[in-house]
Amino acid sequence: MKRKLKEVVKVPLSVDERWDLIEKISKQTVEFGAYKHTLKDAIAELTVKPLTGIPVAIAVIYGFWSFFCDFAGTLFTDGFMVKIFDEHWLPWLQSFFLGGLGNPFYALMVDAGHIEDGVLVASDNCFEAFGVLTSGLFIVFGVVLWAVLAFYLIFAILEDIGYLPRLAVLVDTVLHKIGLHGYAIVPTFLSLGCNVPGVTATRPLETRKQRFMMMTLLAIFVPCGAQIGIMQELVPELMGWIFLTLAIGYLGFGFILNKIVLGKSPELIMDVPPYQMPTLRNIGRKLWIRTSRFLLVAVPFVLLGSIIVGLMYLTGAMDWLAAVFGPLLMVWFGVPSETVAPLIAGFLRKDLAVGVLGGLMAQGIMTTFQVFTSVVLLCIYFPCLATFALMLKEENWKEILGSFASLVAMVFVYGGLIHLIGIMLGVA
Amino acid sequence: MKILLMGHPNVGKSVFFNRLTGAKVFESNYPGTTVDFMKGWMRLEREDVELIDVPGAFSLEPKDRAEEVAVKMLEENRDSVVVCVLDASKVERGLYLALEIIERGYPVVVALNMWDVAEDKNIRIDVEKLERILGVPVVPTIAISGEGFKELVSKIKDAAPVKIEKIIESVGAVSAAASTGEAQAQGGGESAAVS
Amino acid sequence: MNENEKKFGQIYFAVLGAVALAFGAAELIASAGEGFTWGILDSSGASDPMFLPWKAIILLSASLFYLSSVKNFAEVHQIAKAVMASIMIWIVAGMAIWARIASSIPGEETWFNSLEGFLASYAPPYCPEVFLLPFSLVIVYYILKEGET
Repeated sequence: MKRKLKEVVKVPLSVDERWDLIEKISKQTVEFGAYKHTLKDAIAELTVKPLTGIPVAIAVIYGFWSFFCDFAGTLFTDGFMVKIFDEHWLPWLQSFFLGGLGNPFYALMVDAGHIEDGVLVASDNCFEAFGVLTSGLFIVFGVVLWAVLAFYLIFAILEDIGYLPRLAVLVDTVLHKIGLHGYAIVPTFLSLGCNVPGVTATRPLETRKQRFMMMTLLAIFVPCGAQIGIMQELVPELMGWIFLTLAIGYLGFGFILNKIVLGKSPELIMDVPPYQMPTLRNIGRKLWIRTSRFLLVAVPFVLLGSIIVGLMYLTGAMDWLAAVFGPLLMVWFGVPSETVAPLIAGFLRKDLAVGVLGGLMAQGIMTTFQVFTSVVLLCIYFPCLATFALMLKEENWKEILGSFASLVAMVFVYGGLIHLIGIMLGVA
Repeated sequence: MKILLMGHPNVGKSVFFNRLTGAKVFESNYPGTTVDFMKGWMRLEREDVELIDVPGAFSLEPKDRAEEVAVKMLEENRDSVVVCVLDASKVERGLYLALEIIERGYPVVVALNMWDVAEDKNIRIDVEKLERILGVPVVPTIAISGEGFKELVSKIKDAAPVKIEKIIESVGAVSAAASTGEAQAQGGGESAAVS
Repeated sequence: MNENEKKFGQIYFAVLGAVALAFGAAELIASAGEGFTWGILDSSGASDPMFLPWKAIILLSASLFYLSSVKNFAEVHQIAKAVMASIMIWIVAGMAIWARIASSIPGEETWFNSLEGFLASYAPPYCPEVFLLPFSLVIVYYILKEGET
């Protein structure tokens, strides 16, 4: 031990010399009894081990969801926004806006009205008025804004506490099977607010394949805050089934896409910081950046979309499309012909389309299963215009075409499958 | 360039491998043997790099088939960087393998895996000091939670071959410094420890 | 923590775990059938039927966390389980309370609720997790205790 190592150096060292060296190194660097596991370490461990981590994740997601429903639905939309828009904004517009019921411009901007006993009557709520200034604004500022806000609030809190990366690690194993990584939950969760920031969040993914897969899955199987908010208004009793169906589609088609899309999907390594108290400043900043992004990017498209849909109804283009595609949709998906127009309108305004379906439902035209099929179809059908535009910006035409092709294939396969299962269960 | 993942059996090397590579992983037999090893791709500075999970080995003086394969694979891939995964609660044993690899002239990154287990056993390792002595990057990791991986990957590019004489010298140097300014070195060590 | 605190913690969280287990099971049964209201205990899930099985699973997991923490309670990993169980209960109970707050502020016809209406929305019956909430707060004492050492 005492002899000087320097004198006997040759490469490689003998076994004894190596152990000598190691002993010297460890003497200087390793300390026993110096560290004690803290409560924080122990909790961090509990949240990533599957046996204990999964129940915790279930609880956290429950909190996420439950907060969202009550914040956006009960408090803001139902509590205040519906009153503002239906009792004040709509009557006010109806009383002074140029033209009147039956006037095309009035119909486009304010109220298309609906036929009741052969007479055109004015709408009594912003949901069914279908004007740009009524339905359009109500959807954006009355429903979606609050949904987006609620989602991003919770999201930022989970992120800053340090739970999100751990959740990602927890689901990593499952997502590996479909060629994605734990990180995929970040764009997925973001998309539940609005697909626009969700698509933006695919940027850290390394390869084209991963981004392509992620965007396609997001655009198809992840409903945005607008859709969720409106589904919650219209078909709360079907929400569980709808989400189950979408989740199965997400995983199933992810698996298939991973098999058929060429390219690699290397691991994305996330930074896993220790748990910490979130700061109000940081959360506020994130909330502001994401929400303003939604307002700036998505809102103009939603309004533009409602103008185009309105014009298509007014010019009869919608009836024409319905006549052309109607039979196909009816046979393949088993939905009634009345739903064809809203399904097509869904390309531009999914939220609005769900609204139209709600109207049809109220009239008792559709069975529950048909409502279910239509809502699921609408969700998976096509990304909204804003998402589509952003995808164009992020990727090139070729990939968008690929995305579009896989989308059409998926909608037909999945929609047909749902119909088939419905037939077999005897509910379709 | 390739990256070889080496370490003792049961140091969480396979979890480690899964954390680093993507979903497409190939499992194959080493030619002429029944020893399995895994191969995958990882992303390093916008490039795909092959990552090979070398069969677990205690040392480079082979005592069984798996170790034989490990040595062969190391020799076949002269141009690779070796990520040496150590069990942080049994550093001495792991260092033996790490030193052997360093002596052979490979650039090495040392991962002190199962850091949480070491903490559980009240063991603290002065990462900064270890890094200074070895002259190679040393990163504490917890494979199960993914902690430390980002840092590990970012340090692969810093790995360079180190002469063993250098290490022997710096052990001497550090121990001399330690006797004169122990308090100072202690302070530095604390900040390096992962909390 | 000293021996007494450890003993108390063991007994306390064993009992709390057992109660949580019973509540969780009740909610699970309620979610399968009609649901029931028993005195001031509401397990009907009338407000949100979709959530009932979900809540039941969380309560059952929390109870298992509590029960498994009892053995060798003074050890930090064991306390961590009880802490986690409490956090899970805080989440469900917190959300139940938040739901009441959200619906208590706006009025039926008017902008804001009347004072009576506001107060009435906090009246019993309450769902099981709300009853567990105050009892689960005992863990805070142990968290602070653990922080000292």
